Amino acid sequence: MSFEWPWQYNFPPFFTLQPNVDTRQKQLAAWCSLALAYCRHHKLYTLDVMESQESPVFNNKKIERKLSTESIQVVFEELRKKGNLDWLDKNKSRCLVMWRRPEEWGKLIYQWVSKFGMINSVFTLYELTNGDDTEGEEFHGLEEWMLLRSLQALQTEGKAEIISMDDGKGVKFF
Amino acid sequence: MHRRGVGAGAIAKKKLAEAKYKERGTVLAEDQIVQMSKQIDTFKSHLEEFASKHKQEIRKNSQFRVQFQEMCATIGVDPLASGKGFWSEMLGVGDFYYELGVQIIEVCLALKHRNGGLITLDELHQRVLKGRGKYAQDVSQDDLVRAIKKLKAMGNGFGMIPVGGSYLVQSVPAELNMDHTVVLQLAEKKGYVTVSEIKDNLKWERERSCHVLDHLLKEGLAWLDAQAAGEPQYWLPALFSELSSRDITPEEANQMTP
Repeated sequence: MSFEWPWQYNFPPFFTLQPNVDTRQKQLAAWCSLALAYCRHHKLYTLDVMESQESPVFNNKKIERKLSTESIQVVFEELRKKGNLDWLDKNKSRCLVMWRRPEEWGKLIYQWVSKFGMINSVFTLYELTNGDDTEGEEFHGLEEWMLLRSLQALQTEGKAEIISMDDGKGVKFF
Repeated sequence: MHRRGVGAGAIAKKKLAEAKYKERGTVLAEDQIVQMSKQIDTFKSHLEEFASKHKQEIRKNSQFRVQFQEMCATIGVDPLASGKGFWSEMLGVGDFYYELGVQIIEVCLALKHRNGGLITLDELHQRVLKGRGKYAQDVSQDDLVRAIKKLKAMGNGFGMIPVGGSYLVQSVPAELNMDHTVVLQLAEKKGYVTVSEIKDNLKWERERSCHVLDHLLKEGLAWLDAQAAGEPQYWLPALFSELSSRDITPEEANQMTP
């Protein structure tokens, strides 16, 4: 399925950080949605700020408008505040994009676990993301760093415990 | 011999009569007024008879409705004037426009987030029709205009700005004066406007032009495009045609503020 661009994407002013505060809020909210949707569609988990500038998301060649580096940073900061982004380096040149927040992934995984009556069972991380049983589930194929964060979120809620096993990590659900 | 019209008394009377006629100018003689009232009453009852006979037509057919309204207007009858009374009870015309008004408000609220409270009559019409579904009564742009006028009269912050042969409907009481309106009309052609265009077309000073554009930005009716070739462009979401064909996303619906 091809990616559906929101109306703002073809609206030239969308690529200029708006001077009016209220309008800017709406604009940034729309940018956050768009960035997350795009990453989700293309299963992107990391973004490089420099590379992003040339990505179709922030650079609409058809209308000859692009978001400046400063503006991209502003959008990323918004995403970070919302819990959808983590910087990988101090210079803020690369980031992790969580188009689904760890808590949300955790919830999905836990739902699957309880649906199949697997509470109190132990899983290896691999089983969760690459096992045959999880084939077709949204979290199938989830990258390990994201999975760990999700399980950590569940852990904080008391719904899981990450355990160390011989050949890696595992998790027990409560 | 008794001579009429002569004498101080008669002259005074004549002067008084003249004065009275002058004072009242075109006022008709009393009996003529009585005549006309009777005629209007007859006309009214004919119209009422007509209305009850053609009640279905008036309800269903928007073209018919326009003509009916115009007939009413010629004798100074406004079917929408009051919630009670013959017209609204007989025809449910009042209800029809009341409900339409509610629909209009709903559409405008839902889109205010995008266009700042300004929408073209075309887009409003499209969306109202969509919201009504296939089997509902037909609604024309004339119907919308009447309903909006009613809303305006009720003090709902509605207004209509004539633009490019149609209207922009304003649903938020943003303060728009003549200067703003004129700039909106200028922007209608391309969906955006620049300072130079305002200066060239309206012969205004730069400061006045910028002042108006700043106000439109402040009211959330316009967005700034700083990457346009030459000079900044001020775009109106309300006039962005691609926007009007897009459905409201669930996220936008969540961000709706009353």
